[in-house]
Amino acid sequence: MIQHGYELDFSKQTFGVILYGAPGIGKTTLALSDGNNGGDTLLIDLEHGIGRTNPVHRMNANVLSASTYEEVLNDLNTPEAFAAKTIVIDTAGSLVDYLKDWAMRTKSDAKTKTGAFNGLKGFGYVKSELESFVNRIKTVMNKNVIFIFHCDEKADKDGNPIQRLRCEGSFRNTVWTGIDFGAYIQMLGNKRYACFTPEDEFFAKGCHGIEGHVEIPNLKNDVPNDFLAKLFDTARKNMQAENDGVAEQMQIYRGAVEAAKDMVEGVTDADTANACMKALLSLNHALTSKKEASKMLNDKCKTLGLAFSKAEGAYVAGDAK
Amino acid sequence: MKTRITKTLLDSWAYTFDCYEGGEEDAMNDFLKTLNREPIEENEAIANGKAFENLVWDIAQGHEVPPGKWNEGARKVAEIVKGGQWQVHVDTDLQIGDRTFWLHGFCDVVKAGVIYDIKFKAKSFGSLDLYGSYRGHSQHSAYLRCLPEAYEFVYLVSDGEDLYTEAYNRHTCRPIEEIISDFMNWLESKPELLKIYEEKWVCDG
Repeated sequence: MIQHGYELDFSKQTFGVILYGAPGIGKTTLALSDGNNGGDTLLIDLEHGIGRTNPVHRMNANVLSASTYEEVLNDLNTPEAFAAKTIVIDTAGSLVDYLKDWAMRTKSDAKTKTGAFNGLKGFGYVKSELESFVNRIKTVMNKNVIFIFHCDEKADKDGNPIQRLRCEGSFRNTVWTGIDFGAYIQMLGNKRYACFTPEDEFFAKGCHGIEGHVEIPNLKNDVPNDFLAKLFDTARKNMQAENDGVAEQMQIYRGAVEAAKDMVEGVTDADTANACMKALLSLNHALTSKKEASKMLNDKCKTLGLAFSKAEGAYVAGDAK
Repeated sequence: MKTRITKTLLDSWAYTFDCYEGGEEDAMNDFLKTLNREPIEENEAIANGKAFENLVWDIAQGHEVPPGKWNEGARKVAEIVKGGQWQVHVDTDLQIGDRTFWLHGFCDVVKAGVIYDIKFKAKSFGSLDLYGSYRGHSQHSAYLRCLPEAYEFVYLVSDGEDLYTEAYNRHTCRPIEEIISDFMNWLESKPELLKIYEEKWVCDG
């Protein structure tokens, strides 16, 4: 099905999220907060940490426990996994450890002669399997995916604390590309916050109006654990509003760029270049179309040996200087 | 008097405070070279960066490229930037205090309201902590200021294989006026360097 940009409906949009922070800050409980119906969330509990959450706040989740990566894959083929809206990977660092174990058992060159993990070859296998695993959850299964990371406090060159994701290999970098939100969870005073805007101490990512410090409610047994459900709803509404606002601009942008290409194609000398310059200015522009159209014309003029003379305000043959 | 200002000058100055331990002297020498507008010698990192960008350009234009170790990474970048305009000059005049600046530079690619900057890292991503590493750069602040029609600036970072992206908008970047003010305050406390700046970076006409 092909839809125009202005027809898009984001009411069922899924998201990728990174949650990271100190031990005990409540990352797992927060990750379970998208869904009030039984089975809405599937927690892939690679660190066997589900027992540390409040039973009231984990009752609606299904928990996948596995001792090998193959078991995780098998369990992702179950009806429970397909029924879930959200899949939580707790933790992404442990998933990399499971994949290292998988690579050592199944790929002969992922192990050194002494039986240790061969980082050079092994991380290649880990990376490609991890890409396919994440793509399957996000794209094929179309789930929200939440990556929980522990964090390590390090010091910058001036000794100030900086928070880094605890995860071996390149995934701690590449994971940021495919996600929508990345929050550092921290206590400020006696309140907990999910921080979506980067600061000197930590990196973060926000979009669709989700930014800055968002307070996480203090959960009591009668308070629903629905932080992410509400956040996703807000983001979906904002996306719809952004799309409705931008759709018209994008249409104008595309029209202007296409028209500019045709006009620039017809430029053959200084006279046609100057006529084209005027015509480009008269187009209905949006976003960066005016700048892009002007660059197209300038590039074409260069190929024709024309240069823009500031003094004449026009393209002239040869070196304008 | 109007003076030029670029992200290269601002970043080479900022790096004197943020360089690796023991690299302070080299960082200061590099800044002084930039301040004196001495040409930058092409090193391996610069050559690799250019070669990678050319590869991305070829792929984005639909040209056939011979097999190569960076093709996978270049394809991921090309997929994003294809259809955009390359090496787009952007500029604006800024009045900060009693000084007038001409802020300018070249965007690698401009497409549909987004400015893209292509970076190449020779080291594999597995050995680096990249996320957040561009936050202190002045480039996104400068270019978003020069091109008000753009709503986002995205660093596209490749090691020839993987892609890492870091995006900034006007809410998440420091105003360029603040960065330039800090730079000028520092420069004004060093009259001999201020003199060089005013001589070498004065705008023609």
